[in-house]
Amino acid sequence: MTNERNAKKILIVEDGKELLLSLSILLKSQGYLTIGAPDALFGISLAHKERPDLIILDLGLPAGGGFYVLESINDSIETNDIPVMILTGQQGIELEEKARKMGVAAYLHKPFEPKELLSRVKEILDR
Amino acid sequence: MNKKGEAKEAGYGLVLQELQENPYRKFNLAFSLMVILPFLVFLYILVSKLFTLNILIGNIGIVLLIALFISICGFLIGVRILKNILKKLIALAAQAKHSDQLKSTFVATVSHELKNPLTSIKTNIYNISAGFTGEVNLEQKNILGLCQDTIDRMSRLVNDLLDLHKIEAGMTDVNRKPCNVIELSEKQIRELGVVAGARNIQIVKEFSDTKLTVWADEDKLARVINNLLSNAIKFTPEAGIVTLKVYPADNFARIECIDTGTGIEADNLEKIFSKFERLNSVKEGTGLGLAISKDIAEMHRGKILVESEIGKGSKFILLLPRDLRGRGR
Repeated sequence: MTNERNAKKILIVEDGKELLLSLSILLKSQGYLTIGAPDALFGISLAHKERPDLIILDLGLPAGGGFYVLESINDSIETNDIPVMILTGQQGIELEEKARKMGVAAYLHKPFEPKELLSRVKEILDR
Repeated sequence: MNKKGEAKEAGYGLVLQELQENPYRKFNLAFSLMVILPFLVFLYILVSKLFTLNILIGNIGIVLLIALFISICGFLIGVRILKNILKKLIALAAQAKHSDQLKSTFVATVSHELKNPLTSIKTNIYNISAGFTGEVNLEQKNILGLCQDTIDRMSRLVNDLLDLHKIEAGMTDVNRKPCNVIELSEKQIRELGVVAGARNIQIVKEFSDTKLTVWADEDKLARVINNLLSNAIKFTPEAGIVTLKVYPADNFARIECIDTGTGIEADNLEKIFSKFERLNSVKEGTGLGLAISKDIAEMHRGKILVESEIGKGSKFILLLPRDLRGRGR
């Protein structure tokens, strides 16, 4: 119980429900608490309600897209200190540059190595 | 409103919508304003002038009127032809725009619809083999390892296909900056050192003493060198030698990748740059690496040449202009 209370909370905003579940299993295996949102609006709402320690965000999302979530999180005083990690299947240096300018903590391309994702998550949460 | 009335309204709605969306409406209006209106004004002035000068009287007047009529007919036919040509040009431009949109949609759809499931399968295989969902025995781990390899190969294929599509559709970004070819080659040797070492293959480097800089997209150039080097390692038998030479040659940076493999038959030398062409199907690969490398070289106004001798090995030569500033796309 104590562990659960101290565990870091990660919000995964991803519209692929299979991937959402796989990521959840992966992160839970390392003792993190996970919550999932299948679209942009739900993601923003959960970010405000749950105040997670990290947001893992897909860019190609229904109901607004990943950049809309990123903007909303950055614009709100309640959520602008939450680190964001981007997971995307979209290619393009300009997308990565845009995300980096908006202050994302990490940017991973799908399909990523699960080990790499875990090490990046740990690195961000240990900061 | 009765059903007939609703249908009628819906019908008018459709017609109105069609009229509003019809790109030729604007074109017709612009064309009339630009060509027909000035001509009518000119005609009005001409005829009124002829009347004031009393020229339109008698035989000369009849001849003049016939000539005027013929010229108006000629003008109208000319206008019609010109209008049709312009309409066709507009239609072609619209078609090209639509085709570009389709290409972008294709890339976005493939990215999303293929990469998401691949990532999910990859993560789940890892979840199971790492024991996160329960104990796994050695045999099960081996089977999961095979699944992992297959997924990795599929991921490479999807990425290669997307890259090739983007390059061929002119949708790829080229971020040129000064690149030190020697440093870049060193980096690729370091990256592939483990793969070569595992098969006891020695990578020999022969680099020019002088700094060799080209104006290129570093990531793309690295990809070409990496592809040539990994192919050389792949096709060299165990304990063989792969040589990477980098030196200036006139206005070019010349990168040679030489293997001591089985070599390629002369008839197949041209085929190897074609998409999905794999001369040795036993070796792992997507069959797109050399096609992509060739496209990248050409994107930098360079080229890839190949020389080969059966039983001795092959030499791939990448030639890149040393100064590409202000050139091409």
